[in-house]
Amino acid sequence: MGLLTILKKMKQKEREMRLLMLGLDNAGKTTILKKFNGEDVSTISPTLGFNIKTLEHKGFKLNIWDVGGQKSLRSYWRNYFESTDGLVWVVDSADRLRLEDCRKELSSLLLEERLAGATLLVFANKQDLPGALSKEAIQEALALDDIKSHHWCIIGCSAVTGKNLLAGVDWLLDDIAARIFTTD
Amino acid sequence: MDIQERNVRNCGDNIVEIIDMDEDNFVISTSSAADAAFDAVVGSIEDIIMEEVFQQLQQNFMDKHYLEFDYSDENKLSYTSIFNEYVDLLEKHLEQQLLERIPTFNMKSFIELLMQHKEEVPGDIFDMLLTFTDFAAFKEMFLEYRAEKEGRWLDLSQGLVVTSLIPAGPSEAQ
Repeated sequence: MGLLTILKKMKQKEREMRLLMLGLDNAGKTTILKKFNGEDVSTISPTLGFNIKTLEHKGFKLNIWDVGGQKSLRSYWRNYFESTDGLVWVVDSADRLRLEDCRKELSSLLLEERLAGATLLVFANKQDLPGALSKEAIQEALALDDIKSHHWCIIGCSAVTGKNLLAGVDWLLDDIAARIFTTD
Repeated sequence: MDIQERNVRNCGDNIVEIIDMDEDNFVISTSSAADAAFDAVVGSIEDIIMEEVFQQLQQNFMDKHYLEFDYSDENKLSYTSIFNEYVDLLEKHLEQQLLERIPTFNMKSFIELLMQHKEEVPGDIFDMLLTFTDFAAFKEMFLEYRAEKEGRWLDLSQGLVVTSLIPAGPSEAQ
């Protein structure tokens, strides 16, 4: 690791967090990001690259990275793991057919060494859709109870209405803050 | 070239002086010797990034890649590899230049010193170094470069209208 990289790690300000938002395509990652940032969410197209938003919340500076979830893009996810404090895994709760795919992708992420220290927030998104599975059903389908390696929490939400987005992010911040900033 | 050579010699002189002091008073001078060595490295870093060679390096890099960057809010995946390449390029250049100026330079011990001096490192220079590792600043730099290349900055300035905060009428009356 060179000088610049080390400087960056060293200087990373105390009340700053890096959140990485991943999930299958069409899960609603970009919608969550934009909604959370107070932007218009009516015309969002599939993400082929990545989005970054920096926002202030509860006295923290959040750097949120949202990377496209299409199958061909998933091998690029690894380029964004470094220094991640919180992993936000977004699930389309109405996409029953791809839940198994979703479980597999998540479980392989949790094996990644560079994500080992990250807190996991699962957003069971699209709760506003009639066919959506409950967060309990998603919890079971993704076998979240088997996760011992990471702090985790699942929250049912709707990116379109904004419901519970704040609750999820608040939980994530609290968990990360308790882990990182109180041990100093 | 002359300036560079002089810099190298100056650093050498400093080191000799430090060693002399070392013999006189071990306790005091070890800390001041370390400080002086640290300051010398920081000074050299400053020189290196102010040099034309460094700016040329940045410019060549931008020339090579600027067409890849566009104005959409979403970032292309390719930006990340270009960014990593950029940080790597600057890092290597810095390290190599430091070694040329201060033959005894050791990155590992400098970084250790840096950690110890965390609170007292000169802000400006490190802020500048940090911007090299900031993705948002990196993207902005490329977009500005592209706009400049394509003459877009001219359009921008034409779109600006300078108006006085003081209404013209009353001031004329006075």
